[in-house]
Amino acid sequence: MPLHDDLEQVFRDVFADDALALTDETTAQDIAQWDSLGHVNLMFTIEERFGVRFRGNELAEFANVGELERFLEEHANGSGRA
Amino acid sequence: MALAARSTEESLTEADELLRAGRVDEAAAAYGALGGELPSAAICLRLARCHEQLGEPRDAHRYALAVVDADGDFASWQAAAAIARRTAESGDPPRRTARLALLGSYTTNQLATMLWLAALRVGVSLELYESPYGQYRQELLDPSSPAQAFDPELVVLAVHAGELALPPYSDDPEADVAAEVERWTSLWRTFGARSGATIVQHGFALPPDAPFGHLGATLPGSRQAMGQAVNSRLAASSPPSVAFVDCDRLAALVGKRRWFDARYWHFAKQAVALDALPILARHTAAVIAARLGLSRKCLVLDLDNTLWGGIVGEDGLDGIRLGETPEGEAFQAFQESILALERRGIVLAVCSKNNDADAREVFERHPAMRIGLDDVAVFVADWRSKPEQLRTVAETLDIGLEALVFVDDNPAEREAVRRLLPEVDVILLPPEPSEYVGTLADYLLFEPPSFTADDERRTEQYRGRREAVAAAPSADSIEDFYRSLEMQARVSPFTDSDLPRIAQLVGKTNQFNLTTRRHSAAALEAFARDPECVHLSFRLSDRFTDHGLIAVVAAFEGDDVLDVDTWLMSCRVIGRTLEETVLQELCGAALARACSAVEGTYVPSPKNELVRDLFPRLGFQPLDESEGTTRWRYDVAKNGAVVNDFIATTRADDAAA
Repeated sequence: MPLHDDLEQVFRDVFADDALALTDETTAQDIAQWDSLGHVNLMFTIEERFGVRFRGNELAEFANVGELERFLEEHANGSGRA
Repeated sequence: MALAARSTEESLTEADELLRAGRVDEAAAAYGALGGELPSAAICLRLARCHEQLGEPRDAHRYALAVVDADGDFASWQAAAAIARRTAESGDPPRRTARLALLGSYTTNQLATMLWLAALRVGVSLELYESPYGQYRQELLDPSSPAQAFDPELVVLAVHAGELALPPYSDDPEADVAAEVERWTSLWRTFGARSGATIVQHGFALPPDAPFGHLGATLPGSRQAMGQAVNSRLAASSPPSVAFVDCDRLAALVGKRRWFDARYWHFAKQAVALDALPILARHTAAVIAARLGLSRKCLVLDLDNTLWGGIVGEDGLDGIRLGETPEGEAFQAFQESILALERRGIVLAVCSKNNDADAREVFERHPAMRIGLDDVAVFVADWRSKPEQLRTVAETLDIGLEALVFVDDNPAEREAVRRLLPEVDVILLPPEPSEYVGTLADYLLFEPPSFTADDERRTEQYRGRREAVAAAPSADSIEDFYRSLEMQARVSPFTDSDLPRIAQLVGKTNQFNLTTRRHSAAALEAFARDPECVHLSFRLSDRFTDHGLIAVVAAFEGDDVLDVDTWLMSCRVIGRTLEETVLQELCGAALARACSAVEGTYVPSPKNELVRDLFPRLGFQPLDESEGTTRWRYDVAKNGAVVNDFIATTRADDAAA
């Protein structure tokens, strides 16, 4: 499954919305449940599913989904498996 | 192996593509084929999604709850909880609902979600109140706090080691530890004086980093040693209204480096790594279930390839593998872990497809057996199906199927039981016998709500009752049978030493329970101090066994009547006429207080059909009825006091006088 689809599934799981669709430009403003708590859940879930580990500041730093995807393309070891 | 693993991976990818393409029913079939007996959390979750999309919410709900059993990670729990919430209406009705206030010293939102899911899996539907971040002290101390207004039955105190007011090193560790223990127990007391809620106190998971290194363990003044002392003293000083969850043990189980993830503390004030929340939630839910009386009582054991290696009917007594070899020692160790459960009150039963004599011979003659025939309350070895055998076990012990846990190495037998007797919990033994001990240890629903002297005797009591059942047909009449039992009842007002057992009965008795009012230990303590309250406990013994404390009644003096608030009896002594002795004592109390009548209420519940007609059977007259709840009156002044000739009664106050 392409990384984009895996990431989309993570977003759907975390934000409990099976219809949620991601674009590169999606930001926290676009998803109602993506508040500070949702962000922690999202980051941690991405760590688990993609086998990456964010450094302290990276936890807060991604401006949009496109940036996050590029980070994962560089760092993820294999595809994310739910 | 590698080939098989890759092909599973490929099949999973193919199924995922079917799902993506909207071919949901084909995807569900593909996942189902991959899953096996207990699908992984990832597959349970995918199946839950498929069934939800297919408009099958009941199956979606079932698979979402299965994620809890499948050792799922935080992410799958989170997703499963969302599905379970959306499909909650379609799941099996919960065994209990409970109002729970979650008060924390760290960000508890995620724990709240995990706890809700874990509780639902063990049959408890939680209505949750969550305190604002770090407000647990205010919530407990302020009588007008939102948590107190919520009027919870349960309060979970989710606190972390950062809350311990302990210096890095103390010159007077004894005083510092005592002060810290007092700081927590006084919270319990202050809150307990206003609320009957049970407090579930999380112990302190202690960080693995030790500035004193290994020397710290030898220095009572090190923070590390003081933290351990606070944990053990808090646990030891918990009153009946406080349950303790040993989080330091859980952190060790998970691995302390995994439990503590400092990044998430700095970033989000999350003191328990999200990865560790599922296990914390599962254990907290098990303790809660135990307090609500939902723990299981009886472990039902298969024999061949479960208690020993091989099949005794084919391999013979000398051919089975037990002791001596590594495999044989693993079976022996499993037997020892089962015995440890038996010693603390879990009843053992055997159900085996064998000739009775072959099966018993192993217990009687094999030198390496650890479990003896004496340890087994019911022994069923015949050629009927396992579900039929399990029914016999439940009937013989006179307990519900939902009190049984079945352990069998054979997947087909497990499946038969799961399908035909869904009330019975089935432990999934791994193929490797050396892993049996750990699998049994991971089963959480034997969590005891308390441990009383009665628990120690329980197995003996059940054995005694089986003999009593066997004795029944030979008596000429039911009256002869009652007399032949030589029953003796001991009646006592509630005492401090009996309160834990009384609270246990009030919390879990379902069938013989007229009103099913789940008074807390604190409330029952208050009954004992109330001069208007007649509060009695009953112990019953017979020529076979001492059943211990098995009945409780509480009634309040009103205008010329004694009104029964609570009347319950353990299933162990149903059919012994003890209810007449209870009425006899109520009549006595009514006369002593110059009340002319005893009045009582029957409140129907899904479980207490058994006592619907108790009052008329005992000679009460109907007063009124409303929505199934009936009120009854026994006129003592007119009818005279009831006397039960079958049970000799002694009273604690007689002995004292």
